[in-house]
Amino acid sequence: MAGSGDQPHVSGAVIELERLVEMANQIGDFFSPYPPERAREGLRNHLRTYWDPRMRGALLEHIDSGGEGLSERVVEAANLLRDAAAEKDGYYGPPKD
Amino acid sequence: MPNPRKPEKETVTICAYCGVGCGFKAETIGDEIVRMTPWKEGKANHGHSCVKGRFAYDYWCHPDRIKTPMIRSSIDEPWQEVSWEEAFAHAAKELRRIQSTYGRSSIGGVSSSRCTNEEIFLTTKLVRAVMGNNNIDNCARICHSPTQFGLSATVGAGAASQHFDSILQADVIMVVGANPTEGHPVFGSMMKRRIREGAKLIVIDPRRTETVESPHCRADIHLALRPGTNVAILNSIGHVIVRENRYNEQFIKSRCEWQEFEHWAELVGSDEYSPDRIGPIAGVDPEDIRRAARIYSNGPNSTIYYGLGVTEHSQGSTGVMCLGNLGLSCGMFGREGVGVNPLRGQGNVQGGSCLGSWPHVFSGYRFVTDDATRASFEAEWGVELDSEPGLRLPNMFDAALTGHFKGMYIMGEDPVQSDPNQNHIIAALRNMECVVIHDLFLNETSKYAHVFLPGSSSLEKDGTFTGAERRIGRVRQVVKPLAGYQDWEVTVKLMNAMGYDCEYAHAGEVLDELARVTPAYSGASFELLDRVGSAQWPVDTNAPEGTEVLHMEQFPRANGLGTFMLTGFVPTRERVSEKYPLLLTTGRILSQYNVGTQTRRTANSQWHPEDVLEMSAGDMQVRGLHTGDKVTVASRFGSTQLKVVESRRMNPGIIYTTFHHAESKANAVTSDLSDWATNCPEYKVTAVEVTKVTADDTSRTQASTARPEREAAELAVMEEA
Repeated sequence: MAGSGDQPHVSGAVIELERLVEMANQIGDFFSPYPPERAREGLRNHLRTYWDPRMRGALLEHIDSGGEGLSERVVEAANLLRDAAAEKDGYYGPPKD
Repeated sequence: MPNPRKPEKETVTICAYCGVGCGFKAETIGDEIVRMTPWKEGKANHGHSCVKGRFAYDYWCHPDRIKTPMIRSSIDEPWQEVSWEEAFAHAAKELRRIQSTYGRSSIGGVSSSRCTNEEIFLTTKLVRAVMGNNNIDNCARICHSPTQFGLSATVGAGAASQHFDSILQADVIMVVGANPTEGHPVFGSMMKRRIREGAKLIVIDPRRTETVESPHCRADIHLALRPGTNVAILNSIGHVIVRENRYNEQFIKSRCEWQEFEHWAELVGSDEYSPDRIGPIAGVDPEDIRRAARIYSNGPNSTIYYGLGVTEHSQGSTGVMCLGNLGLSCGMFGREGVGVNPLRGQGNVQGGSCLGSWPHVFSGYRFVTDDATRASFEAEWGVELDSEPGLRLPNMFDAALTGHFKGMYIMGEDPVQSDPNQNHIIAALRNMECVVIHDLFLNETSKYAHVFLPGSSSLEKDGTFTGAERRIGRVRQVVKPLAGYQDWEVTVKLMNAMGYDCEYAHAGEVLDELARVTPAYSGASFELLDRVGSAQWPVDTNAPEGTEVLHMEQFPRANGLGTFMLTGFVPTRERVSEKYPLLLTTGRILSQYNVGTQTRRTANSQWHPEDVLEMSAGDMQVRGLHTGDKVTVASRFGSTQLKVVESRRMNPGIIYTTFHHAESKANAVTSDLSDWATNCPEYKVTAVEVTKVTADDTSRTQASTARPEREAAELAVMEEA
């Protein structure tokens, strides 16, 4: 059963953008002590394993329309979600190299 | 004179209050419970009890109990009593209608830590297998979700590393953001016993709590930090451990990821976290930070116990990681007397966590995105399962406001009373088309519900609870359910009504099912628990009667090693200002429990008839306040009124209250900030101002509460789970 692909359409972002942006930036702040590549991977893993696909989708749509309010690190990490071929299993702990 | 009320029968069961999980004998005459006495064989309490478990049980037969199901088509209509069959049929039809209109993911559920493992597991089954999505959460979301996240990240298991008795081997006890003598009294007594025997005590807490100083208990060091600076202080303790070479290199090299340790040592060892820099930020003497670090690292056995003062912050998960980092750095894992241990608030909140009542993991903290885990559940439940994480409880309400989430099953929870930002919750509930409440009493949330299913208290049901020390014990039916069904039976019947076929002869069969799909519980059964009394998970083929101490040889991570997380200090956005110059923080008192739904319905209320605001003499003087004055506490988010008392327990600039009474409305003032990783609300830090209530204020308040939205804003009280 793949995600929420069979949903009848309800228009608009699943959660108000302001709140999504704030949540994403907070996650970005946590990973900021890591080297940039690991910080991006930590963010990617977190968004992939903890966020409902509709929340991820709304974040990516927001990035497509300019990504206002999002830190650069969050934009870069969220963009990694687009590459389904690079999908990794979810994990706990430090971001993988 | 002989006791005229000699009990006819006694049933051994578990207390329904805090996470200690004391064994009790419930003594009955017919269908009447006449006494609760602590069970000497109870492995968590060894025959001890507190005033809640011992005396506060009469709520079970309180006249407020609802015994007949009710439905209504709109929240503006009165409730209509109906048969169970009609209630199930109505709920099922509505939930299915919503799914066909708004999509499969437009409904979900939340389970309660006041319910049994079996009931929680069945609620996850209802959502995952019957509703067909992962919109399932539990009340740990608003209390200990950072524990699961932070401990899983560092040591691989989101639970206490020790059994309670382990504290009797500890030389140093560090208590962070917890007050066990009030919140977890039976464990608190054991802690005091060890302190009397000479163990050193370090307390990190903004308030001079009863744990800091009371009979039989005196902290060697009390770091009375400003609320919101846990991560700074804990990193600074790490700084001293690194700079003074106090870390256990042998342990780290053999048991941990050395490279991650080096990264951590570089971060916390930097000048940024030196005690001289952090001391003034946190309002603590730098020398005390050094002393705490030295005492903790010297051990030889140092143990950490912590509570919601760590988790309920915007850096709650980071704070828990800090504790994991500290324990690992000094080699304080893998034997008795050491470890890192959350003190869980509700009787079965550990069970709620273990059993997959989360939108991102199945039981045993295994990701829903993991194909093999999902396949094992699909085989057991006979349906295909959603491979994507679902919505967390706060996100369900967020999504209700945007029209994406329209119906939910709420088992034994009261989000309107317990969750932050109450206006937001009420608006979300008003936007839903079918809210099903399954509870003992009508509550604040049921005002916005369409179906009410009467619940059963833990005295009326069979099942298991898992206490804060991972101890799985039997809950045994003492009296018949007042409304006819045990809660797990209600969930099963709702599943059946929604078109999913399943049946169980008794709760033990549910435990058997969850044991089949949950490795750490694989050896658990009613038979085992009846034989050995209780067992701590993991209980499996390697440990058929359970495991007292975790991490003895390796950590349950892929490579078996513990690891360090980089825990930079990010100050909360909630700051004091000229307008809101005080920081409000909260806690509890011995005789009451949480928002008081149960204890307020007993005579225990005589010990604590109202919540009061504690304030330092200086802060009172500049505001012209005296003990007993009625004051308004106002934040950016709302206001409430309390009686103020002068207290030496608080440093200037910090004020404190409990939240056991609905009238206190503490949640009307708390902020809407939450933990970065889990959305656990930041209940513990709110910038406020306090002013004396004048006659004018009183009339103005009365006028404004007449308006419905104002009334709504003032109903909330904060809950800890």
